[in-house]
Amino acid sequence: MSSVDPHKLSRDSTSLAMRLVRSAIFWAVPFLLISALTILWFYRSSTLALFDDPLDATVTSLVAASNSELSKDNPEQILSLAREPLDPRYQQALSGRYWLIGQIYRDGRILPVRASRSMAGETLALEANNAATLYENPSEVLRSQTAGPDNEPLRFSARMAFLPGLEDTPLVMIAAADSRAASRAILRFALLVIAVMLLLIIGVFTAVFMQVRIGLKPLFDLSRQVVDVKEGREIRVSGHYPNEIYPLANELNGLIDHNADVVKRARTHVSNLAHALKTPIAVLQNESEQNKSPLSSIVTRQTATMRKQVEHHLQRARAATRGQLIGTVTEVPPIIEGMVRTMPRIYRHKDVKVVTDVNTDLVFRGEKRDLDEMLGNLIDNAFKWTKSEVSIVAQNSEFDESMMEITISDNGRGIAKEDYAQAIKRGMRLDETTPGTGFGLAIVDDLARAYKGSVALGQADSGGLSVTLTLPRRV
Amino acid sequence: MRILIVEDDADLSRQLSESLKDAGYAVDVANDGEEGHFLGDTEPYDAVVLDLGLPQIDGISILQKWRTDGRKFPVIILTARDQWSEKVAGFDAGADDYLTKPFHSEELLARLRALVRRAAGHTTDSIDIGSLHVDNRAARAFVDGMPIKLTSHEFRLLSYMAMHKGRVISRTELVEHIYDQDFDRDSNTIEVFVGRLRRKIGTDRIETVRGLGYRLADPDQGNSEE
Repeated sequence: MSSVDPHKLSRDSTSLAMRLVRSAIFWAVPFLLISALTILWFYRSSTLALFDDPLDATVTSLVAASNSELSKDNPEQILSLAREPLDPRYQQALSGRYWLIGQIYRDGRILPVRASRSMAGETLALEANNAATLYENPSEVLRSQTAGPDNEPLRFSARMAFLPGLEDTPLVMIAAADSRAASRAILRFALLVIAVMLLLIIGVFTAVFMQVRIGLKPLFDLSRQVVDVKEGREIRVSGHYPNEIYPLANELNGLIDHNADVVKRARTHVSNLAHALKTPIAVLQNESEQNKSPLSSIVTRQTATMRKQVEHHLQRARAATRGQLIGTVTEVPPIIEGMVRTMPRIYRHKDVKVVTDVNTDLVFRGEKRDLDEMLGNLIDNAFKWTKSEVSIVAQNSEFDESMMEITISDNGRGIAKEDYAQAIKRGMRLDETTPGTGFGLAIVDDLARAYKGSVALGQADSGGLSVTLTLPRRV
Repeated sequence: MRILIVEDDADLSRQLSESLKDAGYAVDVANDGEEGHFLGDTEPYDAVVLDLGLPQIDGISILQKWRTDGRKFPVIILTARDQWSEKVAGFDAGADDYLTKPFHSEELLARLRALVRRAAGHTTDSIDIGSLHVDNRAARAFVDGMPIKLTSHEFRLLSYMAMHKGRVISRTELVEHIYDQDFDRDSNTIEVFVGRLRRKIGTDRIETVRGLGYRLADPDQGNSEE
């Protein structure tokens, strides 16, 4: 048995809309089915009642018209009919309307005594259980089916009659009619009911679906807004929401604000710590370098360690709050312009030509300070190593719609391919002759990863180093 | 050369002030933003060392005010804030250089020297006026290759005049650039220093331009230098 982790968020395979549609079908389909069956049953009963009514009347009239008299030839009582049923169809052979008076055997065979002309000399045979019913309830009318003289399906009404003088040989009186027309009518009606029911089910489906779409629209809107916020198109959740969803939207905004607040506070603490520690370290370091006592050499060594520790933990603290600010975006061109303005002031002793090719619509899905840090380090490196020219190209990625690529190349000596991996590793310096706090690529790599981006080294056309930074952009 | 240090940490500002004085600068110290801004606004400094996190007014605002008001002296920002976004903001506010704490005082001195000489239009730390050689890095001067013993005030005077060699410099300008704020500013003392300096490097190297001031020139080139 696999247990479900209560703190884990998992996705249900069905959508909310499907759940609502399903539950609607759950009540609508049985309801429609029961209605259809009730209507069909009612129609069939009333059709058969209308069908059976004239047959019952014929049987009643046969019973009423029957009498017994002495036969002229035999000393036996024989059946006499005062009058025959009037319907002309009884006169026409195999018309589908029949009457029959006869002796019935237990197995259902009938020995006819009198019959309508339409019987054309044939007789009828009932099923054995019908015969049994007639014998058990001789005074009641039985309605059932059998086959006719033309082998057509018949419905019949039948009852037993005990005529005076003929008490020992009870006679059965049957009126029957071809039931095919009635069956056809019932079948037609059934098809009609099925068709109407199918239409109703389709209608209910559509109505439920529309209702779900309209009813749940605010929910779909909210989920779209959340995506917009996450991908930096919006700063907060906005719009009109019904009573049920408004608290959720409001709470989301609260969370976004809280998140920004926490990130900002953490940063402020880190920055305060930096300022608070770095100045005393500078004082101790400079003071100890001024004199040459054993104490000062310990202080020199220890302040160097402190300096490294502070730097290391500041980097970690900054990294911990990185990429956490939901929904912030930064326009890329002003950042690059800022760097292009600043770098020549730092590298005044160098005459560096800067070539830029920047897509003016580029927007980075992340924070300004992080983009500043990445580009600052990379462009600083390029200025540090270049002979005369630095090129900055920023464009949409050709491979991924949601990413952008910023390539910074110099025409310095470059790095050998086999050293690329090491150049990105933290704290690695490939050349100690140019001053600076390491290669800076490690910081850039950490940052880019925090944004699910990447840093790739390559060789520029001029033979120098070319660094490509891939970062998420606002689409 | 007169430098302003705006730094709220007392120990650090004392250290900075000492090492800058040792390097031959006149130094004023401001311990908060308001005082720092006022000094920079009223005194003609040759360079400013500016901390960013200051009480009352922060460093960036001070710098922006100075630049808006047309103060052009070179400013080096000295701060614990080492993020690129802060560096860009610092340079955009008008800084000429940016140094992050903790730092080595030699590094700060080197950068200050570079700023000061660049502001005066020189490309190297040492200046030659004929056979007179002024080494600002080592805070020493040579005549015909022989080192000359100078007091800190004498060197400051020589260094300032060398930085602006060929130009007539008024007594007031000299007072403003070689004395710190607390010094007794009697322009007559300038004459005393000029007299002593003349005795050490050769009388004809410093011309007196009547009513205007002094000029450091190469005696072998005559007065043709402009």
